[in-house]
Amino acid sequence: MASSQELSDFLRDVERRAFKQTVYAVRDEHVALDIVQDAMLKLAEKYADKPAAEYPMLFQRILQNTMKDFWRRQKVRNLWTTLLSSFGAGQDGEEDHDPLDTIDVEDESSNPAVQLERSQTMKIIEKALEKLPARQREAFILRYWEDMDVAETAEMMGCSQGSVKTHCSRALHTMAALLEKQGLGSKVIATLVIES
Amino acid sequence: MSVDNTNQEVNEELEMQAKQIAGLLDAHANRLSMRTLKQLENGRARAIKAHGQQLTDTSVNADGTLSRMTSWVGHHRLAATGLVLATLVSSFVVLKSLNNNDSSDAFLLSAELPPEAFVDKGFEPSLNVPDSHLQQKT
Repeated sequence: MASSQELSDFLRDVERRAFKQTVYAVRDEHVALDIVQDAMLKLAEKYADKPAAEYPMLFQRILQNTMKDFWRRQKVRNLWTTLLSSFGAGQDGEEDHDPLDTIDVEDESSNPAVQLERSQTMKIIEKALEKLPARQREAFILRYWEDMDVAETAEMMGCSQGSVKTHCSRALHTMAALLEKQGLGSKVIATLVIES
Repeated sequence: MSVDNTNQEVNEELEMQAKQIAGLLDAHANRLSMRTLKQLENGRARAIKAHGQQLTDTSVNADGTLSRMTSWVGHHRLAATGLVLATLVSSFVVLKSLNNNDSSDAFLLSAELPPEAFVDKGFEPSLNVPDSHLQQKT
């Protein structure tokens, strides 16, 4: 059984990554925050008796399932929104802007030009990632970002190892093509990695 | 052969690029707004509080059995329902067999032979005679 300290360390380690991954999937920061917080709570409440070594797989599974629940609810909500859209017209873009939302932390680069360039590059990469079909994005994130092997990714996605390889291969080719189109070839990315 | 090699090289290059992209995404994930970080911290604090609560609940019992059972029921609702149904069915079967015992008691009391005769081995041959044979004799 993991201690509260172990859980805290684990969550601190994964929360930012989990948040970004969720943002790429749901394309809404508020929703992504809700999903990540929900996943953290579920892990703590339902799997308190599990050892800390099992947390990474469990948390990823909970996160993926919470996202799927969100999409299911969203489907129903979209149906109602479409039906009732005429009543709610003109509500978009009226939210107050909070300066806290745009203040980034831990950006060690003080040069605004470098910051801008990095930010624009990341936007291109994020857009490319968002453009991937859901299953390909899931495979890409689990396999390369979460550094899981093919068997673990297959278990997480509930499909065969062959399917994981196919999803990954397609994701890699699509990403490479999208980035190349934006002038971000493999050499440019390699340079960025060295700089960061 | 050379086509296979080329494909493999392309795939390896793409995998390398994917890992580099993952590295960039990872670095970028650390640059979140103050508000987002605060909210993530709040979520983490709530999770840790819930975790602590779970640990306390477990230690309330001497060996934690009851808490684990409650937690098990929470996780395996279908299995828990199955268990309850199985208990109901088995208790029904037990009750039914008890009723059968009542009827066998009634049979013993209403028989012409004394109850001791049914435990006396000397009576076994006559008791094991099928009903049809008895009917033929009468």
